[in-house]
Amino acid sequence: MVFNSLTFALFFAIVLLLHSLPFSWRVKKINLLVASYLFYAAWNPPFIILLWISTVVDWWAANRIAQASNQWRRRAWMLTSVIANLGMLGWFKYGEFLLANFQALAATVGIDYQPPAFDIVLPVGISFYTFATMSYTLDVYLRRAEPTPRVLDFALFVTFFPHLVAGPIMRPTELVPQFEQPRRASMDQLRFGLALMTLGLFQKVVLADGFLAAPAEQVYDNTMAPGALDAWFGTLAFSGQIFCDFAGYSTTAIGAAMCLGFAMPDNFRFPYAAVGFSDFWRRWHITLSSWLRDYLYIPLGGNRKGEARTYASLMTTMLLGGLWHGASWTFVVWGGLHGLYLAAERWLRTRFTGYVPGPLALFGLGLFTYFLVNITWVFFRATTFTKAWEVLSGMFGFSVEAKPILAAVHLIAVAVIVGGILATHWFMRRRTLESVVARASPLVLTLVWALMAFAILIEQGTGNAFIYFQF
Amino acid sequence: MPSSTSSFERLTAADRPGVAQPVPERPVPAQPWGPIALAVVLIVAALMGAWEWRMRQLQLVPGDFDDGASAWAEQRRRIDAGNVAVAIVGDSRILFDTDLAHFEALTGVRPVQLALPGTNGRPFLQDLAADPDFKGLAIVGITEGSYFRDEVGLMADALDTYKFESPAKRSSHLITTWLARRLAFLDEAYRLSVLTKRLDTGWRAGARSPYGEVWKIATSKDERQTAMWGRIETDATLRDHARSVWVQPRPNSGVPVAADVIARTQDATREAVKAIRARGGDVVFVRPPSSPELRVHEDARIPRPAGWDALLAVADVRGVHFDDYPSMQGLAIPEWSHLSRACAPVFTDAYVRALAQYTPRLALRADAPAPMSPADCQPTEAPASAL
Repeated sequence: MVFNSLTFALFFAIVLLLHSLPFSWRVKKINLLVASYLFYAAWNPPFIILLWISTVVDWWAANRIAQASNQWRRRAWMLTSVIANLGMLGWFKYGEFLLANFQALAATVGIDYQPPAFDIVLPVGISFYTFATMSYTLDVYLRRAEPTPRVLDFALFVTFFPHLVAGPIMRPTELVPQFEQPRRASMDQLRFGLALMTLGLFQKVVLADGFLAAPAEQVYDNTMAPGALDAWFGTLAFSGQIFCDFAGYSTTAIGAAMCLGFAMPDNFRFPYAAVGFSDFWRRWHITLSSWLRDYLYIPLGGNRKGEARTYASLMTTMLLGGLWHGASWTFVVWGGLHGLYLAAERWLRTRFTGYVPGPLALFGLGLFTYFLVNITWVFFRATTFTKAWEVLSGMFGFSVEAKPILAAVHLIAVAVIVGGILATHWFMRRRTLESVVARASPLVLTLVWALMAFAILIEQGTGNAFIYFQF
Repeated sequence: MPSSTSSFERLTAADRPGVAQPVPERPVPAQPWGPIALAVVLIVAALMGAWEWRMRQLQLVPGDFDDGASAWAEQRRRIDAGNVAVAIVGDSRILFDTDLAHFEALTGVRPVQLALPGTNGRPFLQDLAADPDFKGLAIVGITEGSYFRDEVGLMADALDTYKFESPAKRSSHLITTWLARRLAFLDEAYRLSVLTKRLDTGWRAGARSPYGEVWKIATSKDERQTAMWGRIETDATLRDHARSVWVQPRPNSGVPVAADVIARTQDATREAVKAIRARGGDVVFVRPPSSPELRVHEDARIPRPAGWDALLAVADVRGVHFDDYPSMQGLAIPEWSHLSRACAPVFTDAYVRALAQYTPRLALRADAPAPMSPADCQPTEAPASAL
């Protein structure tokens, strides 16, 4: 079920009630586990089996790694886990993509290969929970963590509903220790958790779905080629939509976990205030970028094996990171562009060591970073390269004959909301939400919280799925 | 990927490469959260009370449901349960213009209402044809511009929702319905973003303004009993807006429907009719009224001989066209496309009596109410009021 649905509101109220009753800690954990399975089954009940497979395989493999007497056996069990998880992910997410590409490749050498129908439904959130469970066996393999002694704790780590379908991608060392001792939110944690959930849902329901989705759709799902103004505003709208959608999910998830007494990590740190792309990836989808760094980039050699190898590892990581988002070459190009930006930044840093930008230069570099980020969003949002080129042509002024697409009210909404997001991110660049809230006047907090809640209610969110569910 | 010593107030995994990540910090800022939360609850309650009051002033009422894919799927599943004698498919006209209670009073049969606004009825007729559970009478409402096209239209997701509706969606629909029986403000047409977009009356020349979209024109009750919203009949501003939407220039305005589209539509209809009849069911067509102001545009796209008449001949079905019945003339069509609330039972009365002549699957009850006439509904004109 999605956070922005009445079903979730009822579900969460029941979970909170059960969690506050005087049951033993073990019973409370079983309640949370059952609730998490229900949360997932509410999309498509049979897919719970995938969660069970992931849980059993990784529990078993991690224990075998810990007990293995030599490195060869350790590696074999680690590979068992990786192959099982990536195999599941590959079958459900990339099967059709691979077949279509094989068909196209065969056609280029004159073979008319007709693949069988591949009518597979993508299990929601599979990219997230396979990465979370893999991090468990990989941490044990890398001797960063011990296997958890209780299967209940591990099963709950895999399925804990706040992070299950769209992250933050939790590591076992972040969450499993929290299951060892009884946890219950204090009244202040409950209230602040609800405030965070309100903020997250406001971002999703009001900003992303209510005001930004339509202009992005009208530009990107349109048969007409956009002119400069429409291409830019459609892309800016998407930059705001995807941030509000995904950061909104993470904030709601963090708030939901806090209401139950658990802590989840930051997934976003005001990314549109990034200066450069290494900075951007320390602010955007932090739990994915750090996962890719720790389990892909560093094992590939990281920056320890010479310049050429570093650039190759960087590009490989970002291309695969792009593919993680979706089975389409447009996502690969999105990842590739980020890889190129990171590589270019790395090269520039070696040429301009010691350069410290002044405040104006810093702001200019921040805007330039945001400009380049928007170029990548074109490939992320467009479903075909044809559409991506159309939008890019518009953005760079090559579609002078294009007719207007977006109504003035959409242009105004995008300008106000995306402008507001940029200003907020710049103001919050070195701050945390908590530190700003701590310094704010209680009256202002009350009004902001109440107005966000009121806006959510009168927007009557229609339960639209979060964009990242499809990844 | 690169990392560096962090200058952030709080570290994250981004600042700790290649190590086990610790339990996250999640401090609660020092604030008087108890009084703040209490004040928030009171303010939101007061604001919501005021909003609900304002929405009721605008003539939104509790018990008027949003007619989405879930509501449609709920009705469609009734056929799976078996023994559905009559199902109605089509677009918004047959949806608005059919009074289910009057239909039942006349025949003893309460139809399953499966017509969808802005949507081509043909794929839904084909869906019934492919369903072995359906052995009843299908009444197909025809608006030529909607029926003679390849696209499904506005509610294309209704069939997908019927085929698979997640437990979460189904329960959300139930909860929403329960709340909408009690609260008037729950109406898709009066969401914050929708109201905001309506402020733009076409400010940017050449761009498609949200002002030209269909606003609220209907109410929907249990079993998808849909009728014209009262304000369309009494509020000149809203009525004029609705009229302007129907006749606004579109890319295909005045362009005759292509011959191959007509042929495909006829073939698909003929096959669907055959399949339903092969199981012992039947199909009849109904063409509800539209006003002369709109009819001229409709006929420009596909005139009656090429559309309605040819379709009946090719598919070998009987039908009721409002042109042909005096009892269907002079009905009130406030926004030119759908009958007024008071006229829907009158039209239902007329077309059910006509269909009863054509098919044994509809028989009038011995105690059926007396025939109605256009005099039983009168067009209402009222002074304009503010939006």
